[in-house]
Amino acid sequence: MNAIRRALLACALLGAVGAAAAQTASGPLPDLGGGHRATAQKGLKRDAVCTRCHDEMDPKPILAIYQTKHGARGDARTPDCQTCHGESMKHLKGDPNVKGRAAPDVVFGKGAFKVSDDKLREEVCLACHKGTARTHWDGGQHATNGVACNNCHRIHSAHDRVRDRKTQTEVCFGCHKEQRADTHKISTHPIDAGKVVCSDCHNPHGSAGPKLLKKNTVNETCWQCHAEKRGPFLWEHQPVNEACTNCHTPHGSNITPLLKSRPPFLCDECHDGPHNSRTPYGTGAAGIQGGLLPAGANPNSNAVGRACMNCHVMVHGSNSPAGAYLHR
Amino acid sequence: MKAKSRKLALGIMALAVQAALAAMPLAARAQDVPDAASLTNPTSFVELGATYASRDSNKFGEYNGLYDKGGSFLGNFGLKGGDAYGQGFGIRRWELEGYDLGTTSRELRGSVEDQGRWSLGFGYDQLRHMLTDGYQTPSQGSMGGNSFVLPPSFGVVNTATGSNGTQGLIPTQVQSFRTVDIYSERQNASFNAGYDLDQNWNFKFSYDRLDQSGAKPISAASDAFNPGPGGYNYRGEAIALLMTPTSYKTDTFSLAANWTGDKGYATASYVASLFHDDNTGWSFSNPYVRGATDPATGTNPGAAFPVDTMSTPPSNQVHQLNLTGGYALSPATRLAGGLSYSRNTQNESFAGSYTTTPDTMPLLPVGSLDALVENTHADLKLTQQATRALNLSAGLIYNERNNKTPVNTYTFLDLGGGAQTVTNIPMSHKRTQLQLAGDYRLTRSQRLHLGYEHEDVKRWCNDPAANNAQGVLSATNAGYYTTASCVQVPENKDNKLDLGYRLKASDAVDLKLGYAYSRRTAEVNPSFYNPMQANNQGFENFGYLAFFDASRKENSYKAGVNWQASAKLNLGLTGKLTKDDYDSTLGVQQGDAKSLNLDVSYSVSENSIVAAYGTWQKRTRDLLTGYDRNAVALVTTLWTNSLADEDTTLGLSGKQKGLMGGRLELQEDLTYSLGKAGYSTALITAPAAAGNLSSGDLPDIRSEMTRLRLSGTYQLDKAAQVVMGFVHQKLKADDYYYNAYQLGFTPTTLMPTNQQAPNYSVNVVYAAYRYSFR
Repeated sequence: MNAIRRALLACALLGAVGAAAAQTASGPLPDLGGGHRATAQKGLKRDAVCTRCHDEMDPKPILAIYQTKHGARGDARTPDCQTCHGESMKHLKGDPNVKGRAAPDVVFGKGAFKVSDDKLREEVCLACHKGTARTHWDGGQHATNGVACNNCHRIHSAHDRVRDRKTQTEVCFGCHKEQRADTHKISTHPIDAGKVVCSDCHNPHGSAGPKLLKKNTVNETCWQCHAEKRGPFLWEHQPVNEACTNCHTPHGSNITPLLKSRPPFLCDECHDGPHNSRTPYGTGAAGIQGGLLPAGANPNSNAVGRACMNCHVMVHGSNSPAGAYLHR
Repeated sequence: MKAKSRKLALGIMALAVQAALAAMPLAARAQDVPDAASLTNPTSFVELGATYASRDSNKFGEYNGLYDKGGSFLGNFGLKGGDAYGQGFGIRRWELEGYDLGTTSRELRGSVEDQGRWSLGFGYDQLRHMLTDGYQTPSQGSMGGNSFVLPPSFGVVNTATGSNGTQGLIPTQVQSFRTVDIYSERQNASFNAGYDLDQNWNFKFSYDRLDQSGAKPISAASDAFNPGPGGYNYRGEAIALLMTPTSYKTDTFSLAANWTGDKGYATASYVASLFHDDNTGWSFSNPYVRGATDPATGTNPGAAFPVDTMSTPPSNQVHQLNLTGGYALSPATRLAGGLSYSRNTQNESFAGSYTTTPDTMPLLPVGSLDALVENTHADLKLTQQATRALNLSAGLIYNERNNKTPVNTYTFLDLGGGAQTVTNIPMSHKRTQLQLAGDYRLTRSQRLHLGYEHEDVKRWCNDPAANNAQGVLSATNAGYYTTASCVQVPENKDNKLDLGYRLKASDAVDLKLGYAYSRRTAEVNPSFYNPMQANNQGFENFGYLAFFDASRKENSYKAGVNWQASAKLNLGLTGKLTKDDYDSTLGVQQGDAKSLNLDVSYSVSENSIVAAYGTWQKRTRDLLTGYDRNAVALVTTLWTNSLADEDTTLGLSGKQKGLMGGRLELQEDLTYSLGKAGYSTALITAPAAAGNLSSGDLPDIRSEMTRLRLSGTYQLDKAAQVVMGFVHQKLKADDYYYNAYQLGFTPTTLMPTNQQAPNYSVNVVYAAYRYSFR
């Protein structure tokens, strides 16, 4: 055998060894230690049915699921690929009736195959994720509007944006455009700062409360952070007892603090006869600078600044024995 | 034979070369693309740098901690580890992260768990809410304190008729004003733990401590005191904007047991929320004199000013038991429901919540309220997949607020010094909702939704003393009583019908339409007397109803279309209109809310995307009311007030990856929002006496905000990145609210604060070194 042939053979042998080494480094069944080994090996063996094709070369980061709870193979509850995507025999073995490769049984995301019906997609998740926050999923607003779990959640991604407070609102604003606009108004909760996020008040998985609020009522939700408004007070204010949203709009407002309207006009929406609520205020509510009153005039303190609330301060309720008129 | 052997040998070599050539790309590929390890193992990072803000602005830094001009430390980190990663067999996972560590908006979180066994977690979050910009006050006393006094040397403010009161403060008084940044700060510390007993049972515990400090601006009106210090006549109902302390602590405990079975699941939990206010009240000076013989503004009264007291929220507690669960009666039929009961109590002493002089109350009936509100909730929902195409649901929800607080009669002096006797009115209400719905798949691409909801709200007062606190019939207003009664609208009923239609017109086009009609009726108590007043002003005019319980019709319309125009271009258009028409003779007559939104996104390439959106919103409200008072017949001097609130928000964003040989990533975000709210008042019939009347259009409450955010990440090497960013944010606001607080332009009985509408233009630059590792 001449030198060239020896060299070629050596290259071939080295190449084959290198390939074997590379294959082992990315192989689907790594050498495992003890403990949950059997559970993990069983799961990884099932995964290998899919990951032998859907490996690190896949345009989507499929394998990133192993950074999440869905990929912790040592936990016996963890699903494998086919638990969620179905056995998908036609996808694996081919379907003579389909040109090209048949779709898996359950397709979650847009891509080469048509996305499965939202009911089918959500049933996969609800098979394990029963109860607790999802108790009221069936018949809820998201379920009846065709929003399935993976419309918000990213299962194969190491970073599930909707479960991260820093990025959650971007996901919700994908559909809830009005609320997106509201967060840019001059008076808001600290939503843009990431301190209050949608899931602090809402349970998107379903709720017995109004507007998917996580508590039973509007007030109970607000009191999670604003317990000073809870009372019970000696002197109550009826619209406050019934719903904070009678006066406030929580996503954002042009009128501080998160008000739907401003005193005196806000108060005029419920009060007519008593005291000054019967009095119309036009440009006088803007004070001397409003143009109607001459310089040196005395603006009416029932109309300017905080108007009614200059004196009726304790609008959420008062616990002072002198506070029957919410002055104290 | 020898020739054949040579040919065969050559064939083997060729195959060997071919195998090597085939294998080498495999080996090379394993190094160039993300390997499995990089995908399956977490990346930790530490980011250190600095931020610089170009100017002071409490409004810009309202929540983000960047309210001061200058530099601050930028620190973020995220550390992850454990053997639950990397396609291993482990179940241990831990995480520690911190953000904005150099600001008062910092947060820190950590967790460790054995998945499927136990978990522990903690969190700390700080938020400073900057509330004012340029607030000034002459009162002594620190922000967060509970005493705001004026020294006698400040001098009285004479508000007698003809005097110019606070408009005419003398130079020494003006010089005593100081600027205070009012803020309220929250610090939230939390701890949670979970334990999985087995496949069916797990337990969760959480504790949260919310600590609030600082203050909020609040008005305070003075008490009349005649004669007061110096022998002068101190007036009531004179106003100062002061700093109520927000020294609160809220402890929340939650313990839950969760069970999951094959067909059913249930959760039983106990939640306790304990709110404590460190103060019961705060005090402030009254420097306002009113008598014709009282001295001029600026005169030292020779003794301390009278001190008035404002109450603070009382400490209170809630203890709640909850039970929720569900059961699959069959594969197609499911039942879910819940029960909840809570007791909300409050028994704070009244001491410290009222002015002792002159508001002496020798007839204080009790020393504290001993309040109790019981909240009950129950819900049940049945859903059924009746056929392949039809889903049905039926649900019932019940919420009750039962106020069992004792009723007593309290005697006090009002702000003007008049003796008042008022009975407290603890109010209760309950709400019952019946919800029925059906979802029908007309075809594979069309769905129809039909829903019906009936809601019944009842209001009452438990204590007969509250229900019958009407006193005697008014001599001047037939059918009305002279003191309080419970509620104006004891019952509301609301019936709502909603329809929805969804069409997947093609693979690229989705369409949604919706319509809802709601009819609410109010049963009115004809003898209602406003419980907030105990004199002849305390009734609402004949035919007047508060908007939130008045009869009304509501029509809502929704439409939306999403079009994937091409593989790169997506457009979405949605619109919504809600119209409310009230039946009230007087009160809110109508209101409507409209919105329109357009979203466009374009994928320039695999590494580059551009998106834009525009949202328009408008809300209006019309009110009809009367100037005179008449409890039994419609007043004839009518006036209207209209509100129009309009907003336009525009956004443009872009992202580019893989620039400069794959090292550079850029992000851009530009947002513009313009908000305007305006009021317009018109007199339909002018009264005989003009009085304080005025009409016309108020200047708009206007705010215009522009924000540009640019950020870039440059990969230095495999582990290190440089992160840089620039933010420009500009706010132009105009609000007539602040006119009344300017020195020289205030009402004569309102102390100036010189606050202005927030306007700023702030630039922020930041740069950080990020080190990532596994």
